[in-house]
Amino acid sequence: MGTTASQLGKDMLSEYQELTFLTKQEILLAHKRFTELLTKDEKDLPNNRVPMERILTLPELKSNPFRKRICNVFSTSEYKDGGLTFEDFLDLLSAFSDSATLEIKSHYAFRIFDFDDDGTLDCGDLEKLVNCLTGETDDTRLTPEEMRQLINNILEESDIDKDGTVNLSEFQHVISRSPDFVSSFKIVL
Amino acid sequence: MEEHKTVNFMRLLSDDSTHSTVSSDSCEYYQTEIFDLLPSIQASRPEQSRKPSEAYQDGPVPGEESVSGHLSSGPRDKAPTQPLRNMVICIQGKRSARERRKMQISESWRRSQSINRKRVWAQIGGALSGLLPWQHTLHAIEGRFGVGVKAYFVFLRYLVHLNLLHCVLICGFILGPTIFYGSSKSSEPLKFGGNDSVLDFFLGSGYLDRSPVFYGFYTRGSLNMQCLNTPLLYLAGILTILFLSLILVVRRTTVGYKHTWMLGKRYSMNVSYKIFCGWDFTIQDPAAAALKHSFIRNDLKLFLEEQSFSRREAQRTLGQRVRLYLLRFFLNLLVLALLGGAFYLIYFATKTSQDVIGHHWLVSLVLEYLPPIAISFINLLLPHIFRKISSFEDYSFTMQVNATLVRSIFLKLASLGIYLFFIFKTTKKPHAVQCLENLFGREMYKLCIFNFLTAFCNAFFLNYPRKLLHEKYPSSFLARLWGKQRFLVPFNVLDLVYSQTVSWVGVFYCPLLPLIEAVTLMATFYIQKFSVLRCCVAEQRMFRGSSSSVLFHFMLLLGLLMAAATLGLNLYQPEGTHMSSCGPFGNGQSVFNVTGVCVDSLPGPAQSTLRYLASSAFALPLILAEILILTSYVSRGRANQKAIERLKEMLVMSSSDKRFLVKQHTTMLRRQRNPCRVRPATIEENQPLTPSHEN
Repeated sequence: MGTTASQLGKDMLSEYQELTFLTKQEILLAHKRFTELLTKDEKDLPNNRVPMERILTLPELKSNPFRKRICNVFSTSEYKDGGLTFEDFLDLLSAFSDSATLEIKSHYAFRIFDFDDDGTLDCGDLEKLVNCLTGETDDTRLTPEEMRQLINNILEESDIDKDGTVNLSEFQHVISRSPDFVSSFKIVL
Repeated sequence: MEEHKTVNFMRLLSDDSTHSTVSSDSCEYYQTEIFDLLPSIQASRPEQSRKPSEAYQDGPVPGEESVSGHLSSGPRDKAPTQPLRNMVICIQGKRSARERRKMQISESWRRSQSINRKRVWAQIGGALSGLLPWQHTLHAIEGRFGVGVKAYFVFLRYLVHLNLLHCVLICGFILGPTIFYGSSKSSEPLKFGGNDSVLDFFLGSGYLDRSPVFYGFYTRGSLNMQCLNTPLLYLAGILTILFLSLILVVRRTTVGYKHTWMLGKRYSMNVSYKIFCGWDFTIQDPAAAALKHSFIRNDLKLFLEEQSFSRREAQRTLGQRVRLYLLRFFLNLLVLALLGGAFYLIYFATKTSQDVIGHHWLVSLVLEYLPPIAISFINLLLPHIFRKISSFEDYSFTMQVNATLVRSIFLKLASLGIYLFFIFKTTKKPHAVQCLENLFGREMYKLCIFNFLTAFCNAFFLNYPRKLLHEKYPSSFLARLWGKQRFLVPFNVLDLVYSQTVSWVGVFYCPLLPLIEAVTLMATFYIQKFSVLRCCVAEQRMFRGSSSSVLFHFMLLLGLLMAAATLGLNLYQPEGTHMSSCGPFGNGQSVFNVTGVCVDSLPGPAQSTLRYLASSAFALPLILAEILILTSYVSRGRANQKAIERLKEMLVMSSSDKRFLVKQHTTMLRRQRNPCRVRPATIEENQPLTPSHEN
């Protein structure tokens, strides 16, 4: 756990290489970018947690509508505030890396889309998801009528067991049929 | 019967969900305590269950033990050889998982070996993918314009690679042997001089005519064995190129087609797909993000519109329908007339360009280039007219795009075909000294060069000024008339396919055409990059990456087939009418002569085998075998389809069982806890469930 702020030990590096999908260069780059986010006095402390607000200033996340959800999903913080340690940050990059498998990616995508963390995508989650996709302001949103029609369509298609929600395996079923997903679910520093 | 039950259940559920918003007391079944304990839910979120969440806080402490015990036997760990990084847990979790695994020491050495091996492979793969050119450019384009435009550039890069591969083959089969064993006649150094001028590089005449660019250069040299001589190598090289391209393109098409087919109507995952895979996480630019928002919004609106359109279509009256069909009929006649006019124009241009003698050099240059100019002009203009026409036909939007695209494909390939046909017809006239194949190759060379020139001019003399105009005087009439510039992926891809087809058609007559094509494609890449990044705004309508790539490759396949057909027709001409006087098959030799001589020199069994393979007696068993294999695949597919249907039904049933049991359990639990507070409504509501499920 000894993430000394200034540099990564060689054994840590190889451990991270084993535990994530990242290459050595990517881990070093991630470390560099992460230490840039730390304030001066934080740099000396091992195992820092960077608050979500500062993580969100990264250009890779800044214009992503799901940025807060991403932080929340990958955060191991006990307070559920979305703060990330360096290892959480590596987890995030690993899941979004080029070489992560479809299963990993789809699993995390599901968790990101599951806004209320209840393990299924219900109507509320889907509505939030669609709003995130189309833009949050009032004039960019779909009308309630359109939204209702859309959600009905989604559930009709992907809710295979007809219980009114989309669960993980149904979600992965949809995702596995979409060749574009792996190439678009990607964040590279 | 079963359906009735599910419907009944659905109704009940929806009743519940409306009810649940009213009272906080009864909630959705997936918000109950027991739901979190279900094995399927445990398996899907291993990490959260480990945290002390609210659900366990008042529960018994051993619950945590049993949960983690369950986990280790759960589906996550069923493959202990699975690499740690494939586990969906945080790094700390992976560490403890590794500790658990380290218990089995005998395994660990092997695993570390395999990890090292994999790492080496990953590094090699990374290094190789770093070698792929333009990675960074593609990344930038993808960030600003999305996957669709990137697909165009990836396709372009693929074509460059394909052409480079062709160049290697040409060098190996044709150029190399000719250089080493070239005949003494052609070994005299090529000199640029005499009547030659720079113009020849555009016309493909004079100096170029004598150079290795064209067919006529490759005469029979000193390499003159029965089965290893220049003509045979030439033929083998060209055939290898065509076959290799066929295999590569078919492979790409089928891979893409598999995906599209899976996405297609059969499984109807379209909207879910748009929602769940809609966001492109690679986007960094805020402007691009805003653009993507509007893409998605438009796409969804489009979908909803199309849905209501199909509903409206179903409600059309007979009179409206008749009127519509009449309108479509006339518009199709108009399209046919336009096509006919275009073909006549090509014919006229070809005919005019044949008699070029006795003009000023500039006039003759224009005349020489008349057919390519005509073809390019038609190809530039007509697709846009088609686009306008299809907007009158009252198709849905996707259908409009597809109709335009199909017409444009037909136009492009057919105009090329018509042009080839006229060249064949007009060049049949026996020219005194000229090499017919060279003449033909020259036409292809001109087409190729002109294509590139069009792309160049289009980018720098049309698109860039247009963009400048739009920037400087955004309110001027012209700017408003033209509107903002969009990168129309389908039409640009059509251009690429067209030029690749030209290259395939011409490779027999002009063996260095792939090299020229590769160079022009590379230049095209930079030109298009310029025009996309500098001049274009992203299109309103999203262009799907995967489905489009199938279309691209399918068009490529059509082009390849056309090239093969042209070559076949040209080679398989009746003896006597077409006797070439130059090139590898000069001196009265034909392709059939040369191969025949080679086959005759082979030993007896090989000879008879080859004869059998070439005969029609072999075709019949081949076709039969293919039919058998196809039939077995089709029937297997049908059986799988049935199994899928049945499994889906089972899934619905078991999930309704689960829901029922969870609800029942919750009500009972609640009744036990506070017997006085149970609302009668909840019980009543659950009562009809029981009979409906038991019968």
